Amino acid sequence: MTPRLSVRGLSKSFGGVAAASEIDLDLHPGDRCALIGPNGAGKTTFVNLVTGVLAPDQGRIELDGHDVTRLSAQRRVRLGLVRTFQVARLFRGMTVREHLELAILEREGRTASLFASIRRIPGLADEVAALLGTLGLAPVAGTTVATLAYGQQRLLEIALALALKPKVLILDEPAAGVPHAESRRILDALDRLPADLAVLMIEHDMDLVFRFAQRIVVLAQGRLLCSGTAREIAADPRVREVYLGSREHAHRAP
Amino acid sequence: MQTVLGIAIDGVAYGMILFIISVGLSVTLGLMRVVNLAHGAFAMVGGYLASFAAQRLGLPFEAAAAGAILLTVVLALPLERLLYRRIYGSANELAQVLLTIGLTFVVVAGINYLFGPTLKRIPLPGYLEGVVELGPKAIPTHRAFVIAVGMAAIAGLWWLLERTDFGVKLRAAVDDPAMAAALGIRTERLYAATFALGVGLAALGGILGAELLPLEPYYAIRYIVLFLAVVAVGGAGSVFGSAGAALALGIVDTAGKYLIPDFGEFFFYAAMILILFRWPNGFFRRRTA
Amino acid sequence: MSPHLRDAAGAATLAAAGLAAFWLFPEDLGLLTRIAATALYVLSLDLVLGYCGVATLGQAALFGTGAYAAGIAAVHLVAEPMVLLLIGGVAGGLIALATGALILRAHGLALLMLTIAVTQMAHEVANKARWITGGSDGLSGIAPDPVLGLFRFDLYGRTSYLFALAVLVVGLLVAQRIVRSPFGLACRGVREDPLRVAALGGSPRRYLIGMYTISGVFAGVAGALTAVSTGIVGLDSLGFSWSAEALVMLVLGGAGRLYGAIIGTVAFMAIHHILAATDPFHWMLFIGLFLMGVVLFAPGGIAAAAERALERAAGWLRRAGARA
Repeated sequence: MTPRLSVRGLSKSFGGVAAASEIDLDLHPGDRCALIGPNGAGKTTFVNLVTGVLAPDQGRIELDGHDVTRLSAQRRVRLGLVRTFQVARLFRGMTVREHLELAILEREGRTASLFASIRRIPGLADEVAALLGTLGLAPVAGTTVATLAYGQQRLLEIALALALKPKVLILDEPAAGVPHAESRRILDALDRLPADLAVLMIEHDMDLVFRFAQRIVVLAQGRLLCSGTAREIAADPRVREVYLGSREHAHRAP
Repeated sequence: MQTVLGIAIDGVAYGMILFIISVGLSVTLGLMRVVNLAHGAFAMVGGYLASFAAQRLGLPFEAAAAGAILLTVVLALPLERLLYRRIYGSANELAQVLLTIGLTFVVVAGINYLFGPTLKRIPLPGYLEGVVELGPKAIPTHRAFVIAVGMAAIAGLWWLLERTDFGVKLRAAVDDPAMAAALGIRTERLYAATFALGVGLAALGGILGAELLPLEPYYAIRYIVLFLAVVAVGGAGSVFGSAGAALALGIVDTAGKYLIPDFGEFFFYAAMILILFRWPNGFFRRRTA
Repeated sequence: MSPHLRDAAGAATLAAAGLAAFWLFPEDLGLLTRIAATALYVLSLDLVLGYCGVATLGQAALFGTGAYAAGIAAVHLVAEPMVLLLIGGVAGGLIALATGALILRAHGLALLMLTIAVTQMAHEVANKARWITGGSDGLSGIAPDPVLGLFRFDLYGRTSYLFALAVLVVGLLVAQRIVRSPFGLACRGVREDPLRVAALGGSPRRYLIGMYTISGVFAGVAGALTAVSTGIVGLDSLGFSWSAEALVMLVLGGAGRLYGAIIGTVAFMAIHHILAATDPFHWMLFIGLFLMGVVLFAPGGIAAAAERALERAAGWLRRAGARA
């Protein structure tokens, strides 16, 4: 079966520093994969390379077998490769509903339409309502993002990603910055992601990683260190060496 | 009929004036990220004060010029503190454009009220009149003086930026304001000092350039596009960029006026469009956007 | 109240106010006509500045191109007013498309300079091409046919004004429709965060060029309308000052709301008319202080101030009602 996302030999250097070296990764439909590693390991660089924000020095990226290495970030989104941002990037002046409407209209290619009335587009309201329901955002549908709680903003980020009907979803620290009281909602949302979606999650929070991931990939100094199940990774001495101290840090009681 | 040398000298002198006036605008744009459309007004005020001091108060040229520059800086500094500081940063671009256009209008109206609508001259001292012999050719002394002052300004600014503490801090703050503040650099003092320097140079340029850019109330509006062009083409924050752009634009504009007077302006704007289109960050910054 | 209802109410209010002005100020129809045409011009700027976040000092190039296109057509080819408006709109739109595709890669000061440069070049072209544009004397002799074959352009300016008012109201309705469309929503996104729009799969550049072209059509129609209703086209319709005045009127009224453009135009031109008899420098002083005041104390212009006042009033009423 062709992997949804296939990365081969991805490399990128800045000056003399290799931020990414020969990284290989495959994601199949239904995968729940977590990418972990100490600070500076190159996780964000990797995401930026895969999504097209950065151009690699070497390597190949394929989406459903198509070579997307030279395509712009925009084109990759249209082909089904979607990401969320580590720090919520939303349109502060727009309401939650408008965000989802825009994402769906964008997906359907209807944003060139000058005279259509958004309310009268068949099916749009229903789909928006469904997404709001799935992520528990229905009560704040009409609220402007500028006044939205941060936890709900992160939920909206995920809703936006889902609205684009992605084939591959990359979540960049979905729970980062969210107070513990609200992170429950995010965990629930992650549990309810479509079953055939290939998901790659970058995270520091080990609780979340062990709960969510059926496969964990460890990155250190731009290189793939090892990959495996949660148990295998937890037991691997190399991981402990590279990560010294941060497991205790992650397990510290809130 | 102007000779090639005549055009070149006029062009370089004109370019030097543009540089002296515009370099302050470039640095404040690069440092405080503020598009100051009122910059021409500072040059104008400097020129008017010097003219007043020389003609009405009878002061000698040097004293009038020095006094005018000082007074212009003293008048401008409170504006930095009270007005400009509120709108620093690239997010405030529209507010900057509007506030500084408004300020320009106020200054233009004020100058007209105080000094009337007629052209003002600054009488040159004896040693700046006449010509200076350079081998077989003779150059107007005033032009030669302007070129010399321009070169001194370039050299002086280079020294200031590369060889002094102030310069190091200024360059750091232009490159990364947050980091500079975190390192303990007193950015507010830096801003005020830089602003003062820019205004002072503008005033100097307004005084020296009074023959090339005549002093009348609409000066600030008439020439601001030129100063902005120098900054846009040269790259904000770059002293050498401003110098290069000012000289290039000065020569192109002067040559255009003499050689193809019917289409001079067209040529100027077309050149600017081509340069900015290819290098939106300025020709001398060479970083494509 | 649903947004669509609010839009319709706004347009209806405009029409009503316009008709009221027609009856209240029969001596000033020339001024009112110019205000109506200018309001459409400032509306065009709001589309690109208020809804897309593009700061431009080049709107006059689009207006002037439409005005000259319509004027030249009227003098040499066809004098039917609706056709002339169409010609103006197409001319403005084409210039916007051509220049927008080139210059909208730039931002900030570079973009500002490019818009100024384009305007100045257009001004130079019109100035030099005396044989067709009249050069610095301007283009005159525009004698439009009766509107729809029925309403002659009379000497008192009644037809001119009502025609201009009608075009303005229709323009507002069309603009409202565009702004509420999927395209309008995408443009609002580009104004806030172009990278986010790209992350949703959209092309910020295409939206910017698209809206710039649309604004060019509106500006071109406004230019043609001015040519048709005043009978002349002056070289200053391509001037940098005209671009700056549009910006001032828009900011005065409040950008990003469409109706702010209209309020700003009316306020600015009315005050100008009153103070015009005096020294032009007094006018500059007044406008300069006003601009500075708006930026420092009332950044949203009249519209925002009015909205805040209305909100506060609504708040008092609610609390008074709750206490009762």
